[in-house]
Amino acid sequence: MSDYYLFHDSAKCIGCMSCEVHCKENKRLPPGPRLCRIETIGPKWVGNIPKVDFVFMPCYHCDRPWCVAACPTGAMQKRTGDGIVFVDHNLCVGCKACMRACPWGAPQWDPEKGKAVKCDYCLDRVDQGLEPACVAKCVTKCLHFGKPEEVVDARRMRHARAMAAMATEVTLRQPVNGPKAKPMKPKRKQAQDPVEGS
Amino acid sequence: MSKPTCLVFQTYNRLAELIDSGVLTHPRVKRRAEDLLDLLKDVCTGSSGPNHLQAILKSVATILIEEPEAFSGEIKRIVGEPLESHQEVFVSHIETHNCPTGDCDFLTPAPCQMACPAGIDVASYVGLIGEGRYAEAVEIIRRDNPFPWVCGLVCTHPCEFVCVRGRIDSPIAIMNLKAFAAERAVSERTYKNPPKAEDLGFKVAVVGAGPAGLTAAYYLALKGYRVTVIEALAQAGGMMMVGIPRYRLPREVIDREVAFIEELGVTFRFNTRLGRDTTIDQLRSEGFQAFFLSLGAHAAMDLGIKGEKDFPQVIDAISFLRHVSKGERHIPGKTAAVIGGGNVAIDAARSLIRLGCEDVLLLYRRTRSEMPANEEEVKQAEEEGVRLSFLTIPVEVLGADGKVTGLRCLRARLAEPDEKGRRRPVPVEGSDYVIELDAVISAIGQRIDPEGLDSVTDLHWTKWGTLIADTITSATSAEDIFSGGDLVTGPATVVEAIGAGKRAVEGIDRYLRGLPQPKMPPVPSRRMRAALSEVPAQTKMALRRPEMPFLGPERRRITFQQVELGYDEATARQEAKRCLRCDICKRCGKCVKICREQMGIDALQFGHVDFGTPGLTDFRITAERCILCGACAANCPTRAMTLEDREGERVLSLCGTVLCREKLETCHRCGAVVGPARYLEYVKKRTSAVQEAFAGSLLCEKCIRQLTAQSKSGITIP
Repeated sequence: MSDYYLFHDSAKCIGCMSCEVHCKENKRLPPGPRLCRIETIGPKWVGNIPKVDFVFMPCYHCDRPWCVAACPTGAMQKRTGDGIVFVDHNLCVGCKACMRACPWGAPQWDPEKGKAVKCDYCLDRVDQGLEPACVAKCVTKCLHFGKPEEVVDARRMRHARAMAAMATEVTLRQPVNGPKAKPMKPKRKQAQDPVEGS
Repeated sequence: MSKPTCLVFQTYNRLAELIDSGVLTHPRVKRRAEDLLDLLKDVCTGSSGPNHLQAILKSVATILIEEPEAFSGEIKRIVGEPLESHQEVFVSHIETHNCPTGDCDFLTPAPCQMACPAGIDVASYVGLIGEGRYAEAVEIIRRDNPFPWVCGLVCTHPCEFVCVRGRIDSPIAIMNLKAFAAERAVSERTYKNPPKAEDLGFKVAVVGAGPAGLTAAYYLALKGYRVTVIEALAQAGGMMMVGIPRYRLPREVIDREVAFIEELGVTFRFNTRLGRDTTIDQLRSEGFQAFFLSLGAHAAMDLGIKGEKDFPQVIDAISFLRHVSKGERHIPGKTAAVIGGGNVAIDAARSLIRLGCEDVLLLYRRTRSEMPANEEEVKQAEEEGVRLSFLTIPVEVLGADGKVTGLRCLRARLAEPDEKGRRRPVPVEGSDYVIELDAVISAIGQRIDPEGLDSVTDLHWTKWGTLIADTITSATSAEDIFSGGDLVTGPATVVEAIGAGKRAVEGIDRYLRGLPQPKMPPVPSRRMRAALSEVPAQTKMALRRPEMPFLGPERRRITFQQVELGYDEATARQEAKRCLRCDICKRCGKCVKICREQMGIDALQFGHVDFGTPGLTDFRITAERCILCGACAANCPTRAMTLEDREGERVLSLCGTVLCREKLETCHRCGAVVGPARYLEYVKKRTSAVQEAFAGSLLCEKCIRQLTAQSKSGITIP
């Protein structure tokens, strides 16, 4: 994991795709690659109400990234400072191994450059103390970015309010941070990660 | 060694840098600059059309007039100035789609085309022949050379010396393919003239109906000029007709191709010699406004030895070959010596054999490796019974009663190479001996026959007796007279004369229209991007240059029948498929480097891309090691290397050569393409240290993402 925490409050999300648009705008991407995704789940009848759920899927900046391991040229790297995983385009030759290796399809193909591109939390903005493009331009402010201890715990506050209101019909969703697809492993220390490049 | 940089490419890059630097803060200026950049990009990538120059000029002008000085000044400096000072380079890029420096990736010309004096788009017509489209191939050739059939039989094919395939095994038989396509098109009646332009009303006179004159006449007629060709001999063809023997170039080949030129409305005046039957001033008074002199070099050099002028049996090869082509077929003697080592000497010797000489000896001052004659022809001459004698210097013709009886010769040895690297023959003292014979043919060079040319005043001549004409515009010192071919270069080849005739047309056309003359030599035009023939790597490597079938030597000794029998269709098409299509692959070696150094796979072995030291090339190795990742294709600057998914397979090809193909695996959930097994295996292996990512079924990126999203969502989809 990187040192940051990107929290998507799906209860507030309306699936407007602003995050995707601004991500592409900021990275000046051609048609095709989408670095963060709003995946639409549903609609599904919950009782007699049709429900749609939106799941925000950026790159998870894994602790031990498949894409970095798969990359034969050392273009895919994990920053030592904060653990952001990014592509160095000077080294990428477009073999797409990272795209195949990632269990969530985070690395994408830039057909104009002929290279892989991926979400890097807009590290140039982060380094200037700004938020990633998706977070900065989120219409409903359902995306939050920062160090884990800084991010608002919207769910706990909402739960507290709900308890206070004695509401019983509200179904509380429990989005898990991080995918369920892989079994949880004991966390490793950052320093032990082999890091290629600088 | 500094390579010349392409001005267009440089301009494009500088403008791109300017836009990227963010200096152009005004949104309208930025948009206009980006539009201009797009136009320049079209020029650099070969997607420019005839209106591009106007559009670029207009775009620059608009910026200069309407935008604030702070921004327009930069654009003026970056784009405006090169456009003003070197507009020709931009025009040449737009018109020819070739960039001689090779900076513009898509416009790197193939070496064969650059080596061709007529600038034929070789790769394209070879590609068309490979697809069996012979008439189209001929049409492409005739845009640069109106004599595909003649050149297919007698060209010196400088293209084949630079052919990249020659670094792998042997060059493509470019010349023979040309002959095949032309012959096929003529016999199928699909050999056609392109449409003529509107009549312009100008009258142009071409003096000399050789390859240069006829080529000029052809292109002038196509441009809409009224052309008259003045010829001293009784038939058209020049040296092609009276210099090249019939067993190499049958008369009907020349006649047919000249007929196509006549068909365009070109008129001929035969038996009309300049200075004897007509003069330039006379022609001017007839209303001719421009002249192209292409009289050739029909006089022979003298041996300058004792006895040379004393006997009728001492003949120069030019006269001899002219007599033979006119049908005077009696031999000067039973045993004859031909003196010289060039193609003309070989032609004379082989003609003597055919006329019935019992013994033909060819004497040359140096050794076989210094012979300027084509090696193929020397071999054929030997097969026919010509004896070769090297390091032999004739010093005196001996004779009695007005007949030649012998030739006194000296032995020679080769001196150490001089500063030009030539090894002069040095006579060995006291080594003289006498060869008994009764005829001597001298073939030691040609010069311009000045007879009749003195009638043309205000021309400037070199000390070698050749006419001085501008190498770019073909203009001479007389304003309305242009010149080219052997008259300017001295004795040279058919294809060089054709190139000269074609160049002159540009000069004549601009002179008559009152346009400024070009300042840089023309760049050959890329005529098309012919489709690539798909050939398996195995086949591409296994194919060999086919032997040209010849008439048997016993028949060759007695008739002037054509020696080369030509390829059959299957052979020609296969030969065309050996072509590496250098018009598309610029042999930059990027693919090899990426595969070897960055991917660490090393599946590409293209030794031929290395100019300095050609290494081993083997297209078959790729299939053994390649993982079909496509990095080579993604980084190929000219799209020569392609990776495509088709019919359930992933295929990697280089200019149509299929290097590797494998069945594609599909997503178990939605059926989308995931990749070939060897690629998946490669990624799996690399990531196995991290964690097994592909446990269970094979899923595509999209399905993986959906399933992940569902698992994170509160709603579960059954």
